[in-house]
Amino acid sequence: MVLKVFFPQCCNRADSGLLVGRWISGHDSAVVLAVVHYPFIPGQVKQYVQQMKAQSGGELSVLGSWSLPKDGQEGMESFLRDLSTIFPQERWLQINRQLGKTGFTCQVLQRDQNGKVIQRETKKKVEGGDEEEEEEEEKVIFVHYEQKKVMFSQLHPLENGVPDPKTDPPSELRQMFQSVAGSAPLFFLDRYDDGPLKSTHWQSDGREASILVELLKQASVPLCMLLGWLLSIWTWISNARVFSLFPLRFLSSKLSTCVQLSHRTEHMRTLSSAKPAAGHTHFIRKANMVVSFLVDVSLGMLLIWWLYRDDHISMLANTLVPAADHVAKELEELLQWLMGAPAGLKMNRALDQVLGRFFLYHIHLWISYIHLMSPFIEGILWYGGLSACFGLTFALSLLSDMVALLTFHIYCFYVYGARLYCLKIYGLSSLWRLFRGKKWNVLRQRVDSCSYDLDQLFIGTLLFTVLLFLLPTTALYYLVFTLLRLVVVLFQGVIHLSVDFINSFPLFAVGLRLTRSHRLAEGVKFRVLCEEPGTALHLLMEINPLKCSTVVQNYRTPTYSCYPKDSWAALIKKLFVGELIYPWRHKTTKTD
Amino acid sequence: MGPDGVPGPAVPWRKVLWECQAFPDNYVDQRFLEELRRNEGIRQYRYWAVVREAGFVGEQLSCVAIFITLWLYMEQSLLFPETLLWTSLVCALLGYGLHRALPAPVESGCEPRTRLADLQSAAIFLSFTFGFSPVLKTLTESVSTDTVYAMSAVMLLAHLVSFPYAQPSPPGSFSLNAALFASVCLASRLPGALHTFAMLTCALLVFALWPCLLQRLRGSAPSQFAGVCVGVCVAGVAGLGSQWPGGAVLLALALGSVTLLCPLLLVRLQRHKDNIQGPWDEAEIHEDLGHFGH
Repeated sequence: MVLKVFFPQCCNRADSGLLVGRWISGHDSAVVLAVVHYPFIPGQVKQYVQQMKAQSGGELSVLGSWSLPKDGQEGMESFLRDLSTIFPQERWLQINRQLGKTGFTCQVLQRDQNGKVIQRETKKKVEGGDEEEEEEEEKVIFVHYEQKKVMFSQLHPLENGVPDPKTDPPSELRQMFQSVAGSAPLFFLDRYDDGPLKSTHWQSDGREASILVELLKQASVPLCMLLGWLLSIWTWISNARVFSLFPLRFLSSKLSTCVQLSHRTEHMRTLSSAKPAAGHTHFIRKANMVVSFLVDVSLGMLLIWWLYRDDHISMLANTLVPAADHVAKELEELLQWLMGAPAGLKMNRALDQVLGRFFLYHIHLWISYIHLMSPFIEGILWYGGLSACFGLTFALSLLSDMVALLTFHIYCFYVYGARLYCLKIYGLSSLWRLFRGKKWNVLRQRVDSCSYDLDQLFIGTLLFTVLLFLLPTTALYYLVFTLLRLVVVLFQGVIHLSVDFINSFPLFAVGLRLTRSHRLAEGVKFRVLCEEPGTALHLLMEINPLKCSTVVQNYRTPTYSCYPKDSWAALIKKLFVGELIYPWRHKTTKTD
Repeated sequence: MGPDGVPGPAVPWRKVLWECQAFPDNYVDQRFLEELRRNEGIRQYRYWAVVREAGFVGEQLSCVAIFITLWLYMEQSLLFPETLLWTSLVCALLGYGLHRALPAPVESGCEPRTRLADLQSAAIFLSFTFGFSPVLKTLTESVSTDTVYAMSAVMLLAHLVSFPYAQPSPPGSFSLNAALFASVCLASRLPGALHTFAMLTCALLVFALWPCLLQRLRGSAPSQFAGVCVGVCVAGVAGLGSQWPGGAVLLALALGSVTLLCPLLLVRLQRHKDNIQGPWDEAEIHEDLGHFGH
């Protein structure tokens, strides 16, 4: 059997005393948490241990004794052994360290049923003596750990909720982490405290900073209340009946500014809830929200500062109308080109002319609309720019919406082209079945053969021929306008992606990982400290930090995903068939 | 004596599996080949009967030739669309009268079409064709003439290949559609919208209605049917000859080989047919060999 003793590094040089810690159930290992120094009164130690046990809620006991003999403290061996009778334990660890030597020696005293003490020694068999001699040797491995890091680290993957008693008990390492983290009350005993007991363990250095934290905690309560009150007002306004009418509701679900607004509202609702965060994950999520909100607002302020400094707003407004004009002119030229013989393609002249004139008229309408709007554009931009004080994401969403509104003509062209093309494709596919004497059986979802009447065949073939010869013209218009639409969708998609990135990126968790890498642990690694033939094996336990990608994956704030719902193949198929594509987020798919 | 050369014991071999016999599993005796049968259910063709049937193929070929001849005349403006329309109308009325006069083949569960339904169909044909003819006229304007000709040729060939010669009424969907597609393509090359309309009406008569009439004729009066076939063939060759003598020669050769040479070959080759059947299992190769892998 190998006995593992987890030993805190800070206790390496502690004065002699008692080891306080716990045995890990189900495993042959012990976690040492602190060393209580001489001199002490055993009754007080027992009382202290009981008190700590009650506070931490975990198991805590005196594990054994620790001796680091200094000058003039020789001959404690027998005294330490006698201590085991004062603190009756199943096993009594007796750890010695000689000054100047790196290794410890450990003796394990085992008490059998009769209450007799059996000694087993790590290195060599016990020579004689009044104790019974054990045949087998028990090896002891010392695992040194850094108490502070282990205490604050969170071992991943996380166990959520109450552990199920039916499933396997948590692993040894997890139990060890839990026992260190759970015995926080033990570490409150300061080195400067003037109590009856003195002990060595990890001690917080920054008590002063923790006062600030306490103050912040106190201040956050009224802040949360204020926020909650404001939120309730906002919810009341947004739930008003006017907003649930059909056109407004539809519009608000399509405008990314409104979506972002509802998103932020939900964040705020989570933050302002009076309940404390339940569990580590929830806490980190909340912290992520706060940090990302703060970063967002500060970026927005930066944007505002830039926009309103040198009157950039009016510059933007003055360039916007000529830009829209320019786009319209380019489109007109494109249409003229399409109405000729584009790329040497021979298209149906009559249909080409009809479509071209239709689209030209549309552009004409659009330009007059823009010119009608032009006096108001500066004002709209001025007030719209103010929305950046809610955060950069709002400004970006507003930009996306404005792009959508300014390229409305492209959208219209795209819809007309797509509908026409879709009609042709569906008509052709069903007429092709008629052409071959088949039909689509809806009930069985397959193609069946069918005998048509003469007139059906005649009209079907006539339509088939017409559609087939007109298809290239429609397909070319569809192709050109789809490409234009894709450019707009791509632009909006990039904006949505960046907004989503700001919303959901776990800044706090990543910062934690970068600055305090031990806080998010994925596992541990051991390094051999000293392995002398005479002494026990000493290992140093170091914490493996969680991988950055895993951090991002675990702690991403759940958002309404704006990633394209379909894969690339599905998108291409949609484009080929002529179904409409949208950059809008789909509210139903909330991805965690 | 079995295939393995096992000397026959006193107990005679029986073709049963439920008895334990002193023969190897693959043993058969001399009676094995007694059950061999050759050419079971063979039909002995007579030459002139085959020629009569093959005449129908030649007749359809000639129909296509007649259509092409009419189109050639129309394209060179030798034939006015009005003339064609009036002729078509007269032909259609005559044909309809004949169709009505001939006794319909007895069909179960299918009531005969009324005159009203026929009139309705005719109205649909005429109105759609007339309405679409300007569109059809400009349809292939930008497509090159060679492409149109190639497409028409392929489609007419497809019509001939997929024509249901055994049951031409109603004409098979694909063959009729292919012929209509080809005629739309050809008609769109004509100089005017009325030309297109006349050509499409003519195509409807030749490819859709004529086979119906012919089928009824074949059912009720086989001798007249042969005469009609010969007449159509002669008309096709003569018509094509008036415009394109080389084509007429080719058509005549094709007709001769289809109606005379091919039946001759069939009857001659029938003698060499040797199809054996017997009490063995023929090896069948299944396409799905997947289940052998498991």
